[in-house]
Amino acid sequence: MPEQSVLIVGGGPAGMEAARGVADLGYKAILVEKRSRLGGTPDEAHYAALTPDFRSAEEAMKEMADAVQNHPNVELHLNSTVTAASGSVGDFEITLKNAKGSEKVKAGAVIIATGFTHFDPGRETQQYGYYEFDDVITLVDLEKMLKAHKVVRPSNGQPPKRLCFIQCVGSRDRQIGNEYCSKVCCGIASKEAIEVRQQLPDCKVFIFYIDMRMYGYWESQIYWPAQEKYKVNYIKGIATEVLKKGDQLIVRGEDATFGRPMEVPMDIVVLSVGMEPSAGTKEMAKIFGLETNKYNFIETIGGALNTVTTSKEGVFACGACTGPADLEDSISSASAAALKAVSILRKTAQAA
Amino acid sequence: MALDLSLNRYADVPYEEKERLFNEVKQDMRYEEYLYGCYECGICVAACPSARFYDFSPRKIAQTMAREDVETFYILLNDSIWDCSQCFSCDRCPRQNSPGGIITLMREVAVKNGLASAQQALEGYGRIVYKIMSTGTQVSPDMLQPNAFPDWGPHVKEISDNLDLWRKALPPETLHTTETGWQVSDKTIIELYLIWHYTGVMDMIKEVDEGLFMILADVMEERLEEEGYDVTFD
Repeated sequence: MPEQSVLIVGGGPAGMEAARGVADLGYKAILVEKRSRLGGTPDEAHYAALTPDFRSAEEAMKEMADAVQNHPNVELHLNSTVTAASGSVGDFEITLKNAKGSEKVKAGAVIIATGFTHFDPGRETQQYGYYEFDDVITLVDLEKMLKAHKVVRPSNGQPPKRLCFIQCVGSRDRQIGNEYCSKVCCGIASKEAIEVRQQLPDCKVFIFYIDMRMYGYWESQIYWPAQEKYKVNYIKGIATEVLKKGDQLIVRGEDATFGRPMEVPMDIVVLSVGMEPSAGTKEMAKIFGLETNKYNFIETIGGALNTVTTSKEGVFACGACTGPADLEDSISSASAAALKAVSILRKTAQAA
Repeated sequence: MALDLSLNRYADVPYEEKERLFNEVKQDMRYEEYLYGCYECGICVAACPSARFYDFSPRKIAQTMAREDVETFYILLNDSIWDCSQCFSCDRCPRQNSPGGIITLMREVAVKNGLASAQQALEGYGRIVYKIMSTGTQVSPDMLQPNAFPDWGPHVKEISDNLDLWRKALPPETLHTTETGWQVSDKTIIELYLIWHYTGVMDMIKEVDEGLFMILADVMEERLEEEGYDVTFD
């Protein structure tokens, strides 16, 4: 009899949703998470409000975690990592490592949900001075400040009077090698811009962009309110560099629609960093022998009609380990992965 | 003699004054229906006839207001807004902005505040404004003077010599006039004068053209007095 359980790697939104999906379909879900708690990047990076609905990230992740933790069909392995895997569909043997040592578990199918990591703006784009100037921060750093309701200049602890976002940092850049759009940063920057204006009404907020990619309802949910209600200034033109003059930052760029070069003072510069595959994603691709694309995300092989099937039969991938994804994408692909994983269990059981 | 290289056609004023003018535009009750947010997409420029002939962009009007860029607003207020023909072709904006409408508001603010640009822009229209306000009709036959309209050809002189006769040859009796474009009833004229008075139009005229204001005030006060209205323009 083939194994009737699915092992899910990663306890973020995609992994939690996949585990819940498998469990709700009446199969055993073995959820493996390296941290001591569920919630993934939204939890680890202290996200304040979710995009696009401004729901509390903490509350939403808790709701997801509770659904998994209290589910009778879920077997949870926290503080655990996958170190080896063998076998094939219907009969995988996976080695888990935790503080107490190693153990082997069996599963009929596997879902990888190891997500992304935020682009490190010091890696290639030194012109923005992330590691040089205290007041140059990232979307992630600002998210944490917003959650604490304490948006201040790291250099002096004062609230900023002028704050800007620079879009596409680490994305859409042939020189860096990340030619893809990270998909979520336009929405997240706009969402954070609204939150800054809510928390600091006297602070002027600017977004320097190449294109605003606010697809679907994000347009009227975030972009229009940011501009119309919260008076966020969207300036077409990407900054070429950030300099320092006295205790202020100077952003050099072009105000493209006005057709003029621009050097503007800022108190805080927020780099809208994109997504890269997480260390866990790269590791799982190796352990399970999955094909990856040139950016090291896990390759799905079904094109537009199947977004979760990998090159290895019985191993599925969902969420941002297959490429930049927003929460809506991640949850949708997680459900698809759960469905396909359970389907393959049933097929192998019937064949046996 | 010192050479002025500033190229400024209007006086610079402190930032606070620019902001006051900016807020006057924003506080107009029509403003929120004229400006939502600007994509800076240029559809309004593509539709704008003035943009084909002048260094004029309805997009810059909308985006300057949307960005709340007070400095650029003041530049446009003193210059660009007078290049618009107020045809409202720009109203095809996907965000439902009306750059032409914003310009209407900016022009009103420029006139109300007696800005030099408003005075200059209206300078050539003194006779027209006088005619409209005093008679209710824009151009009258007696404004047809051969030396003023050379482009109308040599027959203009012949026509203007016998203007009264030519007008009487027109079939509609209401056009048998030379001092007005058509016959205007007494009731209409009185209502018109009262509208100019009560809506503050005369106050605007006073800001931009004191001489014109005095002539109009004389004409209107006398006529209104004849009709039993005690109205004084000051």
